[in-house]
Amino acid sequence: MLDSVVVDGVGKTYAGGVEAIREARFRVAPGEFLSLLGPSGCGKSTLLMMIAGLLAPSRGSIRVDGAEVQGPRRDVGIVFQSPVLLPWRTVLDNVLLPVEMLRLRRTDYERRARDLLSMAKVDDFAAKLPHELSGGMKQRVAICRALVHDPALLLMDEPFNALDAMTRDQMGLELLRIWDVHKKTVVFVTHSIREAVFLSDRVLVMTPRPATIGFETDVKLPRPRTMDMQEADEFNRYVGLLRHSIEAGTRP
Amino acid sequence: MRGRSLLWPLAVTLTALVAWEAVVAALRVKTLLLPRPSLVAGVLWGRAPLILEHMWPTFYQIVLGFLLSLVGGVLVAVLLTYSEIVRKGFYPLIVVSQIVPKVAVAPLFVVWFGLGDLSRLLLAFLIAFFPIVINTATGLTSVDDDFVRMARAYMGTRRQIFTKIRLPHAMPLIFGGMKISITLAVIGVVVAEFVAAQRGIGYLIVMANGLLDTPLMMAAIAALSLMGLALYGVVAGLERLVVYWQVRTETPRGGFA
Repeated sequence: MLDSVVVDGVGKTYAGGVEAIREARFRVAPGEFLSLLGPSGCGKSTLLMMIAGLLAPSRGSIRVDGAEVQGPRRDVGIVFQSPVLLPWRTVLDNVLLPVEMLRLRRTDYERRARDLLSMAKVDDFAAKLPHELSGGMKQRVAICRALVHDPALLLMDEPFNALDAMTRDQMGLELLRIWDVHKKTVVFVTHSIREAVFLSDRVLVMTPRPATIGFETDVKLPRPRTMDMQEADEFNRYVGLLRHSIEAGTRP
Repeated sequence: MRGRSLLWPLAVTLTALVAWEAVVAALRVKTLLLPRPSLVAGVLWGRAPLILEHMWPTFYQIVLGFLLSLVGGVLVAVLLTYSEIVRKGFYPLIVVSQIVPKVAVAPLFVVWFGLGDLSRLLLAFLIAFFPIVINTATGLTSVDDDFVRMARAYMGTRRQIFTKIRLPHAMPLIFGGMKISITLAVIGVVVAEFVAAQRGIGYLIVMANGLLDTPLMMAAIAALSLMGLALYGVVAGLERLVVYWQVRTETPRGGFA
C-alpha cells in the first residue's frame, strides 16, 4: 500500500545558517497515528510545517500520497498550538473556513460541519462567537475545522499545549474517538511522553537541534485506548523507554 | 447600561448650564461678552431657519470630506501594506506631511482651488484622512502570523487572506480612525469656511462676529457642536453594528475599587 507520507532525507537550515534539522527520514502508513516526540525547540514543528507545505525543506523531499509537496495541499488538515479561530465568525463559520478557501460549495459541507461539531460535543455552540467558548472547546472547534473538507492527512502541532492537564487527557480521548471514526492518517507533534504513548501507533523521538530521528518505537497497546491504561505496567514501560531515549538523545 | 452611562454626563452638563446662567445673571455680565445659555437657546430656536440654511452646506461637505478620507485612506493603507515601493517611498512623506499645520494651508487652498466647495472639501480630506491611513495600515499588518499560516494551509489566496482575514481584523482599528476622522473633518470644513465662504456655519460665525452678535455666534457654535456630536454618534453606532465581536469597555470602570 502506498505510504501516506514519505519524509526522505529532509533537512532545514534557516537563512543565517542555523541548522534546525540535520536529517529526517521516515514513512507514515495510511491510517497510522504517528507522534513526533522531542524537547522544545528541537525542530519538530518545523518538520510538521514542511509536511504541510508551509515551509520548504533545504534538503531532501517530502511526498504526501505519492506526490511531492510543493506547497499547501487540499487534502491536508492542520491544527496549531493555538486554536486560531477568527473572532468575528461564529463557530460554524469558522469550521467552514477551509471550505470557503478551497472554493467548495458551502451547502455540501454544512451538514458535515454540524456532525463534526456534535461529535466534538460543541454543537450547542455552533452559532456562538469564539470568545464565548473555553480553551478546550476552542481547540475542539479547530479540530473540526481541520477535518471539515475530509482530508486524508491530519497534522497536529502540539494542539493540547495550552490546555490544563485534565482537559488535555479528555481531549486526547476524544481525538482518538474521532480518529477511529474518520480513519485519518495523523502526524502529531508533542513534547509530552505520556501523550505520545497514549495516542500513537508509533512514536519517533527527535534529538535536540540540529535534529535527527534518534529513536523509534511501535506502541502495541490495544485499542480503543482508555484512561485506565495509563496506569498499566506496559504503558509505563513505553514511557520509560522513550524517556531514556530522550535523555540519551543528546547523542553519544 | 447605556442609558445609565449617559445619565451622569447629562447631569453634569445641565448643572454647568444652570451655574452659568446664575453667574451671568448675578454678576450682570454684558450679553456682548457672555450671553446667558437661555438666551443662546432662544436664538438657536428663534433664528433656526438662518442657522439651518448655513448648516446644510457645512454638513454635506463634512460628510463628503469624511467619505473621501475613508475611501482614500483605506486605499492608501492597502497600497502601504502590499507595495514595498509605496511603503518605503511614500509613507515617510505622508508622515512628514502631517507636521505641516493643515489649518495654515487653508488660504493657499483658496488660491489654488478657488472660493468654491472644492477647496473646503480638499482641506477636510487633508485633515481627516491621516488617522484612517494609520489605523487601517496598522490593522491590516497587525494580523497574527498564525492566522495567515492557517489560511495558507487551507490554500487561501492573497485576495482571500485580505478579504477574509486582514480586512475584518482591521475593522476595529478602522472604526477607531473613523471616529477621529469625523471630528477632524468638521474642523477642516469650518476652518476653510472661516477663510473664504459665502455660506456655512463657519461663515455664519465670522459674520456674527463682525456684527458683534455674540448670542448668534454661540448659537452657531452650539449648532455646529450638536452636528459634530450627531455625526460621531452615527459612526459609533455603525461601529457597534459592524464590529459586533469586540467586547468593549468604553469607560474605565471601578476607579479605586
